[in-house]
Amino acid sequence: MNRQEFQKFSQHGLVFAIIMIFLVLVDFQTMFATVISKILGTNVLRGGLPEVQYMVIFLVLYSLWMGWFISRKEENKSRRIIMTLVASLTAGVVVGLFGLILNSLIQSGTDVRRYLAALSPESMKLFLLNLDGLGPLALLGVFTVSGLLGGVLSIILQSPSVGKWPKTIKTGISSTWQKFTGSLPPFIRKNAKYLAYLVLGIVIIVLPTRWGSYNNFVTGLVGLYIILGIGLNIIVGLSGQLVLGFAAFFAMGAYSMALLNAPLPHGLMWGFWPALLVGVLMAVVAAILLGLPMMRLRGDYLAIVTLGFGEIIRILLKSDLLSDFSGGPRGIQDIKGPTIFGLPFNNDVQFTYLIIAGVILAIFVYNRLENSRTGRAWLAIKEDAIAARATGINVQRNKLLALCIGAAFAGLAGAFFAARNQFTGPNDHTLMVSINILSIVIVGGMNSIPGIILGAFTLKGLPEILREMENYRLLVFGGLLVFMMIARPEGLWPAKRPQLEKKIKPDTRDGDTPGKGDKNE
Amino acid sequence: MNEIAIKVDQVSKIFGGLTAVNQVNLEIPQKTIYSIIGPNGAGKTTLFNCISGFYVPEKGKILYFGQEIQGLSTDLIASVGISRTYQNIRLFSNLTALENIMIGLHPKFRSNWVDAIVHSPRYLREDKETKQEAIRLLNFVGLAGYGDYLAFNLPYGVQRRLEIGRALANQPRILLLDEPTAGMNMQETQSTTEFIKKLRDDLGITIILIEHDMQVVMGISDRISVLDYGTKIAEGNAAEVQSNPKVIEAYLGPGGAALAEKFQKQRRSNVKSH
Repeated sequence: MNRQEFQKFSQHGLVFAIIMIFLVLVDFQTMFATVISKILGTNVLRGGLPEVQYMVIFLVLYSLWMGWFISRKEENKSRRIIMTLVASLTAGVVVGLFGLILNSLIQSGTDVRRYLAALSPESMKLFLLNLDGLGPLALLGVFTVSGLLGGVLSIILQSPSVGKWPKTIKTGISSTWQKFTGSLPPFIRKNAKYLAYLVLGIVIIVLPTRWGSYNNFVTGLVGLYIILGIGLNIIVGLSGQLVLGFAAFFAMGAYSMALLNAPLPHGLMWGFWPALLVGVLMAVVAAILLGLPMMRLRGDYLAIVTLGFGEIIRILLKSDLLSDFSGGPRGIQDIKGPTIFGLPFNNDVQFTYLIIAGVILAIFVYNRLENSRTGRAWLAIKEDAIAARATGINVQRNKLLALCIGAAFAGLAGAFFAARNQFTGPNDHTLMVSINILSIVIVGGMNSIPGIILGAFTLKGLPEILREMENYRLLVFGGLLVFMMIARPEGLWPAKRPQLEKKIKPDTRDGDTPGKGDKNE
Repeated sequence: MNEIAIKVDQVSKIFGGLTAVNQVNLEIPQKTIYSIIGPNGAGKTTLFNCISGFYVPEKGKILYFGQEIQGLSTDLIASVGISRTYQNIRLFSNLTALENIMIGLHPKFRSNWVDAIVHSPRYLREDKETKQEAIRLLNFVGLAGYGDYLAFNLPYGVQRRLEIGRALANQPRILLLDEPTAGMNMQETQSTTEFIKKLRDDLGITIILIEHDMQVVMGISDRISVLDYGTKIAEGNAAEVQSNPKVIEAYLGPGGAALAEKFQKQRRSNVKSH
């Protein structure tokens, strides 16, 4: 091995060491150890630190990954071993040096938190595995040994005999699955789809009553974002208009519900259902008012205008000018929940049902629209507006229609949102909400309902469940986006175009000339 | 004489100081193949864009079976019965071939979004018709089996075919083809030429063609117009246009006519000597 190669290999290790140091500076490692501890069954008190063995597990996992990753850059086996050894050693030395610095900081009693808010002396100690002076040495050991182990593991698992495993397992599973489905009575096989729906339906009905109000809260939130995601997907994914002010329509729904169904500021108690209807209508009206002037805009210009629109709505709601009308920055409280046949229908379980019904409605409408004449017109406009126009599609009307239908979903979700929280204020409708919804659509997979559901769970559900991650939400989000761009550039669950040709039975009428082409003669 | 399908009457299109199309007159009879040729930048595509409604001409009229259409919106003109293809293919590239044709069928049907959501009888009937019609068109343009491929994955020649298929979907009476054989090899050009003839003979569609391949133009055109710098400099059948000195000059530059004659004489004498 010459010097150049040595430099190259150690650079790989250096990169991983620097990532580790960066993670430590924001105290990410403690959060991760906490999550590992939680997964392994030991709960950590809020604000407390996990036990030291979980930190060791985290470090070992990290360096295993490092070894695995670096080893895959070479072909030759012996070179792979040397390479991982050099890289892990470099990483270990660098992290160890960093550990020395941390240790001296602890010894001198400097309060690092003045500069790095997350880094407390306790978590620094924990990172040194509670070994004080020996900590850096231990870090060096952990990084070198498990890095090398990761490299060796990748060699073993990628050897031809082991490399076939995933395939064997896959075929094994699919063949047993086929055997299993083959053994089922024909009645079940024929109606498998409906049975699956039945099971899903039972789960949806039973679960909210069983798993406590916190889970219902999270489910409701995810459900609302699914409705919003589907609404935005009609605008962005189907008709191709990049709207960044979607929260404005959400605000329309929420504030209609709030103003019409709360004691203050107007004392109008119209009831939930009329207010819901007005909320949806108001969102549509806003969409028309915004849509008419913006139909001529495309791409970046459209994004900027809609972004501005979203902010204008929020700032108006917040302003002193309208504070008598809309409650100003304090928002509106005590919004009443729905009733059904005079009975209150607003505990957390019932609200979850209501939101799930909304989600089902949204999915239903979306599915019906996507593969219809209208949906195809939208897709054509998205692909090439000029060619769409020349095939006889009224571009402006269809774009406006998409905007209105998308906004209607936002209005629906907004009304649900306000009634469920019994409160809404300007801060519920910030630009971040619009961006979150757009992220759900993009991360999940445009035009793909399973993708949007998955996206809503990943981006709204997971952060709620993993409360430890709260401070690192943006970090994790950025990491997820990078991962997505590399591994799944079309979203977590990308959409497929329908395969129709084989499904359509050819017409029995004779001739291969199109339609009544000669009618014009 | 057939009825006049398209009459272009003194049409001018001006971009700033540039007159791209200058007082052009055309009379295109029904069920003919009418070619428009000319050097690059002569205004052929601009004229197409005027007919299909992308541009509104500053002066003049465009009559479609006696009915004025200049200034109407593009989608209206398309649904009236004028379809077109493009110089650089403009398919809906992330949709399947079949979906492209189904989008072409858009103006034929009426069902709206409410029909789609409630699955009204009109929607169900039209949906079935759309699908069958699309399959039939797919077979007609010779792309059976390509229907489920995304348009951008299709080979170049097939994409051109698909574009014609999409243009045919709303049963046009007039089809504007902008360089349909550009970038094709001999064999593909041959089959496309045959196909264009078939459109005229079997479906009775009037075809207006922009083409640079002179073999294609001379082979299939019933009538040819030559544009140069936005003005029409010649009109006639293939032989007339070929021997027109103005046309030769437009292609070969001033003095071109004499040059061409010299070349032809040379060629003749070469043939004789062989």
